[in-house]
This record gives sequence, structure tokens and C-alpha cells, in this order.
Amino acid sequence: MNERGLALHVNADAALVARGADRFTRGAVHARINELAAAFNARGVRRALVWSDDPVDLLRAIGAADVAGADLFIAHTNLPAAIVDEIAAQHGVQARIGETDTFVNAEAPPASGRIYMMTSGTTGKPKIAAHTLDALMSRARAGAKSAQAADSKWLLTYQPTGFAGIQVLLTAVATHGLIVAPEQRTPGGFAAAARDHGVTQISGTPTFWRAFMMVARPSELALKQITLGGEAADQATLDRLKAAFPNTRVTHIYASTEAGVVFAVHDGREGFPKAWLDEPPTGVALRIVDGLLQIKSANLMGGYLGHDAQPLLDDGWLSTADRCEIAGDRVRILGRDDSTINVGGSKVYPLMVEQFLLQQTGVVEARVFAVPNPVSGSLVGAEIVFAEDQDHAEARARVLAACRENLASYQVPRVVKIVDQINVRESGKKGAT
Amino acid sequence: MTEEQVLGEISKAVAQILSDKGLPAPALTADTELLGGDLQIDSLDLAMLVREMEERIGFDPFQDGFIDFRTAGELAKLYVK
Repeated sequence: MNERGLALHVNADAALVARGADRFTRGAVHARINELAAAFNARGVRRALVWSDDPVDLLRAIGAADVAGADLFIAHTNLPAAIVDEIAAQHGVQARIGETDTFVNAEAPPASGRIYMMTSGTTGKPKIAAHTLDALMSRARAGAKSAQAADSKWLLTYQPTGFAGIQVLLTAVATHGLIVAPEQRTPGGFAAAARDHGVTQISGTPTFWRAFMMVARPSELALKQITLGGEAADQATLDRLKAAFPNTRVTHIYASTEAGVVFAVHDGREGFPKAWLDEPPTGVALRIVDGLLQIKSANLMGGYLGHDAQPLLDDGWLSTADRCEIAGDRVRILGRDDSTINVGGSKVYPLMVEQFLLQQTGVVEARVFAVPNPVSGSLVGAEIVFAEDQDHAEARARVLAACRENLASYQVPRVVKIVDQINVRESGKKGAT
Repeated sequence: MTEEQVLGEISKAVAQILSDKGLPAPALTADTELLGGDLQIDSLDLAMLVREMEERIGFDPFQDGFIDFRTAGELAKLYVK
């Protein structure tokens, strides 16, 4: 079967999205796509932007951009409105899709049929990665082949506007499955939606699973496939899942923004088989150089907007910042070798948070670092020095409120110390003593 | 510390987390479910709670990996030596 685009007219009566109490068939979403594509064509829209957590809005925008040949920006819903406005203006966006659709007159370059997705960047502005719908759909189909896809019902645990969320949407589209979006994106909301809709596939971060296991009753669920991604899966969490869901396949995947899903491990053990360094799974090659995992994949994305293409090594391999260790017949992933902090599967750049803190009135110095945590892997920790005239309690509350308002929830410092000074090591880098 | 005292510390820590978010802090009992019940805390708030409890009580029961708990009472038991 080699369909183009989303092909939602095929099997049109099948349910595609369950959102709270609302249900949408493939045909219903198809009709909404055609409506929007007609509006794009009538107004000559070459660049559109969608900013919504609603799967129907996202599919409408993806489908209409494809039909009308327009470029689409998928703006992360955890970005502040001001940044999204700036991106829209900078790139000549002519249509904004969301709860209501709006059209503006703007100068847009010729369309290239790309989908642009956003990842957190080292500064406040996100990096924008270029993809094509064909490549995303073929990835979704390839992933679905092995995922026991018949009659699949997917719980949308990831932020819908992120790469992993879009991948779940497109996989459900490709396999004629159902996307289940809970009314409330809380552990309780996810557990209730999984139970009420008979969800069969859940893919989430290890942090998601630890929280989900605290509220879900395994006997009420009909899970066929459990997938862990976004951070390294630890043996304790894999063991707990296997014990709670003995008849469900448990898979952990290794993926990167640049290469998509690199490999999937099904044997219930953390890390991956050492034998894969010599005989890798189809489509990829793996090696360890200076303790870091390097990968080669046919599935690399099409580069960043406004940046050079992917950061490839001279011989065409992609170096990750994941530090590895060989232990017996296994390769274990120990953690990041760069300064990024992995909070429940989301990447945080300390420098970006430091810069934000330093912009706040009364803050004279700030240091941001990872604090290990049994629930979320890491949390963002911060040491802050206030100016002498500041009331510490008032300033602390004000700065943290500003963080909550302007940063994504995973970026907000959760372990905060007010200190008199921050040690500067001889290298000139801020560091713990 | 007794289980009841630990529960008191959990109550205070949860109240602080909720008040930081601008939310009211409902009364907490041993049977209160930390996630999924009426408390409006998410998994990152829970991560923060566990960290805060380590500071308050002086040790981390999760040192060797995560341990299952659902309710405030089950969490409190982990801090009673």
C-alpha cells in the first residue's frame, strides 16, 4: 500500500480521534482538511502555522498544508505566545490554525512542502527542524509494522506538538488506529482515558510510566504494547512494568531529533545488546567512540532552518552526547555528556534558563544545573544571587512566578537556593565547589 | 520521626508546591492519592515533593531505585526508619 499524504478518505467510517467526550471519524477529519485546504488555496497561503494541543487541529493543518502544497510550522504549545508571534512574523506565516483560524497578509517565500517542528534551543528561541510529510509517514508506517498495529488505540501521552506526539498521530493515521487524547493531561486523566477507551498502545517517557503506574489499575487496561522513550529506560522501571503487565510487550526505544527512532529493544533489559555494534538492526549502524554513542541512519532529517544541516562527522556518522558503557553482553546508556539536563524526557539547556533568570529584576548572578531525581531522572536546580537591596522571600517568589509564566514547566527551576555568591572555578566556568 | 509526623511534613511540602502554583491546598490524609486524586499536582511536582522530603527528613528512600506508592500514607511509611 503506497498512499500519498494522510489518505484519510480510505476507511472513512473508522474512528480516528477520541478527544474527551468527542469522537471524529477519518472521514470527518478528511472533510475538515479539505475545507481548510480550500481556504489556503483561495487566499494563496504558502506558509501556515499551527499552535494547538488538539489532535484534530494538528491533523487539519498537516493535511491541508499537504493538499495545498504549503509549508507548515508546528509551534510547540509550551512556547510563550510572544515567541510564537515572533516566529510567525519572521517567517511570513499567512495562516494560523488553532481553536479559531486566522489569516494575515504577509510576504512568504515560495513553498517547499516542508513541515517545520520546534525543539528547545540553547537560547530562548527554539531550533526549527525541517521534515517532509512523506518521510514522517514512511517512518510511521515502518514503526507500525512491528508494533502489533491491528485495531490499535493510542494514548497521546507526549505533548502533541512535539516530534514524539506528531509521530504518534501519524502512526495512528497510517495504521487506521484511534488517537485517544485525554480531557486532562494529568496522570489521572491519562489513566481514565486509557481505561474508558480501551487503549492498546501507550508510548511514554520513563517518568510518565512511573507516574502512570501510581494511578492506573493494570487489570482495567487492555494494553498490547508499552513503549518507553525520551530518556534511558532503567531496569527497575522495566521490571515493574513487566510485573504489572505480564502479557504486554514492553519496548524501549532510542531516538534523536536528527535521526528519529534509531532502534527498539524488546527483551526487557536496559541498554541494548553489545552484538548490535557488529550486527545492527536494519537501517542503522552503531559504534562507540571515546565512550559516546555514534549512529548512522538512512532516516536523518533535512536540517535546521537558518542553520547548517545536521552536525555530521566527516565520515557521515552522527555523534550523540550519550555516554555508554559496555557491561558483559550489553551496552548501557549512562547519561548525557554535555550540559543539557533531561527532565522527564525533555531537554533543558542550563544556559537558556540562566539567561532568563539574569533578566529578572534584582538577580545579579545565577547558576543552573541538574539535580538527580528518582521520579523524573533529573530536575532543574538553580542557585541565585540577589542584589543587596532585595527582600529575599519577595524576590524568590517573584522570580519563580516569572519562570512559571514564561518557561515550559520542565524548564522551571524546582530546587532553588538563594546564595551570597556563586563559585567560579579556575576555568572561569560557574560550578559547584 | 513517626508516620504521623512525616505525614505532617508531606502536608506542608504539598501545600508549599500548590501555593507556589497559586492553588489552594486541600487537607491531606494518609488515604489521599498523590496523583490522580483531587490534588492538582503533576509528575514534576511529585519529583519536587520527593526531593523536598529528602531535605526535610534527611535521607532518600529511593536511593536504590523507585518504590511504588499511591497515597500520602504509603509515601510517609518510606521515611519511617
